[in-house]
Amino acid sequence: MVKARIFVIMEHRQGHIPQAAHEALSFALDLGARQDLGVMAMIPGNRVETPARELARTAGVDVTGVKGEHLEPYNGEVWKGAVAEVLEDEDPLYICMSHTATGFDLAPRLAYFLKASCITSVVGVRITGDKVSFIRPMFNNKLHGEITPAMKKTVLTVLPGSGPDSLSGPASKGHVRIVRAGHAPSLSKTLKLKASQKTGLNLGDADLIVSAGRGLGGPENLHLLEELVKAFPGAALASSKALCDQGWLPYKHQVGVTGQTVSPRLYLACGISGAPQHIGGMRGSQTIVAINTNPEASIFNVSDYCVVEDLETFIPVLLKELKGHSGYR
Amino acid sequence: MNILVCVKQVPDPELPLSISPDGTWIGHEPKAFKMNHFDRFALEEAVLIRKGLLPEEKTCIDAVSVGPQRVAATLKRALAMGADNANHILLNDDSYLSPFDTASLIASWAEDKSYQLILTGVMAEDDMHCVVGQFIGEILAFACATSVIHQEIMDEGRGIYVEREVESGRRECLRLRLPAVLTLQPGINTPSYPSLSNMLRAADQEILTIGQGELPSLGQRDRLVSLRQPERSSRGVFMEGTMVEKARALVKIFHEKSLI
Ligand SMILES: Cc1cc2nc3c(=O)[nH]c(=O)nc-3n(C[C@H](O)[C@H](O)[C@H](O)COP(=O)(O)OP(=O)(O)OC[C@H]3O[C@@H](n4cnc5c(N)ncnc54)[C@H](O)[C@@H]3O)c2cc1C
Ligand SMILES: Nc1ncnc2c1ncn2[C@@H]1O[C@H](COP(=O)(O)O)[C@@H](O)[C@H]1O
Repeated sequence: MVKARIFVIMEHRQGHIPQAAHEALSFALDLGARQDLGVMAMIPGNRVETPARELARTAGVDVTGVKGEHLEPYNGEVWKGAVAEVLEDEDPLYICMSHTATGFDLAPRLAYFLKASCITSVVGVRITGDKVSFIRPMFNNKLHGEITPAMKKTVLTVLPGSGPDSLSGPASKGHVRIVRAGHAPSLSKTLKLKASQKTGLNLGDADLIVSAGRGLGGPENLHLLEELVKAFPGAALASSKALCDQGWLPYKHQVGVTGQTVSPRLYLACGISGAPQHIGGMRGSQTIVAINTNPEASIFNVSDYCVVEDLETFIPVLLKELKGHSGYR
Repeated sequence: MNILVCVKQVPDPELPLSISPDGTWIGHEPKAFKMNHFDRFALEEAVLIRKGLLPEEKTCIDAVSVGPQRVAATLKRALAMGADNANHILLNDDSYLSPFDTASLIASWAEDKSYQLILTGVMAEDDMHCVVGQFIGEILAFACATSVIHQEIMDEGRGIYVEREVESGRRECLRLRLPAVLTLQPGINTPSYPSLSNMLRAADQEILTIGQGELPSLGQRDRLVSLRQPERSSRGVFMEGTMVEKARALVKIFHEKSLI
């Protein structure tokens, strides 16, 4: 067994490990392979035995279940203490997790405690000689920054959607160990997890989606989107978070990491800039069409068809063409 | 109650970006900068907290920003939006500052000011780290909650109830002891636009400037080596021609793919 130098903190919800955590593990396995470093997954929680065994079997990595009654649901203070305690007996170079509400909450806390560098929202690694640096989107994905750690240890968060997951049929099963962590929070207490209030509209099943962002300009232009929805039989209306934050549509329409995940045959993005948190919820769409006035908008990086136009003038033209075409139906 | 609100000045995301000749930061030609979108919610929340507390509780809202000279304009905006005082931690040059360095400057400045609450945005639009607030919390040993979408001060100002937004619209509910750092999600409130009289008042108000060198530093933990245009991962085709031609081409594609 190679001594682990890369640790991956896996979040889970009642034993279910989300795709984002698998992607972080897969990132770590790749980093490990390129630098000849062993990888160990860590699952903090209260009932960790089953997910730990399951992960060791499906991903073929060694897994440490960190067990404690205050570790579930997530509490940043307690997770920091428990993970740091386990890492005390180890010699970590990298501690990875996914860039989710859990990951970016924990990463800086842990980094401060471990006197480590902290690099978030990572999408790639560059290795030149013995120098390792990490690539991350900046300026809403318009530029990529390359960051090098200045400390011996580095805490990383991996941007969801940036790689394949770790379940690629491993050669052998990993080892599992369960350790106890007696930490209790002192400054904060997690009370409960509230279910989503964004129910009432299931966008996940929609075949075609017309989606609007802050580029819509104001609620007075919503009718343009509603007419577009009507032009596509069975289409649903979705939006970016920024548009809901403005109060132009209720949150049940929101697509993205904190909204709904969709994978329709068509995603028509109107006035959406393409923030990673939005892309994270719709990158699985089959065909992506974007309308945006800014040719540099990062939504165009994931689009199949890019239209650089003002939506206020372009959508009426498009509607006219769509109507003229109805004979084809 | 003393509240500190961290506001960052960022390049206007609607304007084109250039990379500086040495490739280590964005171009420095004078261009429009604005207040980080996410920080407007932090300021508004501070104002709402002040409104909700009794007048005899005397709430004071300080805004702080770390950056070069140009950042003063954003601090003026913060005053116009309702901050009582503005503090500028003035950087010697206009280059990238890592989030840890930013947080350590803000924390060393805040250390002896008896803030009960420190509010930040959940993320800076330009560098997108989502960590400055948590670092401030760790350095000052304050409680901290990120991605906060709802808050209520309780226990006569000794505690705070918060809900943080996590994936798929779920919320984690927590109770924190004060003093605390909260990083706020848009949607927690609707920021109001400053009135003309507030803008005029802010224009006359002094900004306190603190030199970067006057604050102890905790040492650099990471470094930005370079900025690049991302490789276009796009399979994307840019539609050409007039608006009508673009619309026709799209309709043809929709038809071919049986989408209409
Ligand atoms: C923890 C966290 C979670 C998040 N979760 C989500 C999420 O689940 N979903 C989500 O969407 N966001 C989420 N966000 C927010 C995200 O970072 C962005 O702020 C948001 O997606 C931006 O929405 P937007 O593209 O509508 O607005 P903007 O970024 O303001 O973009 C507007 C776009 O419209 C274009 N435009 C302007 N005028 C016109 C016009 N007349 N015609 C055509 N185009 C025009 C502009 O060029 C610009 O590109 C999250 C952020 C954080 C920090
Ligand atoms: N230079 C700065 N000056 C003041 N506040 C900042 C600065 N940089 C970041 N912040 C605050 O920290 C939050 C998160 O930033 P970041 O961690 O860089 O994404 C922002 O929304 C601001 O409230």
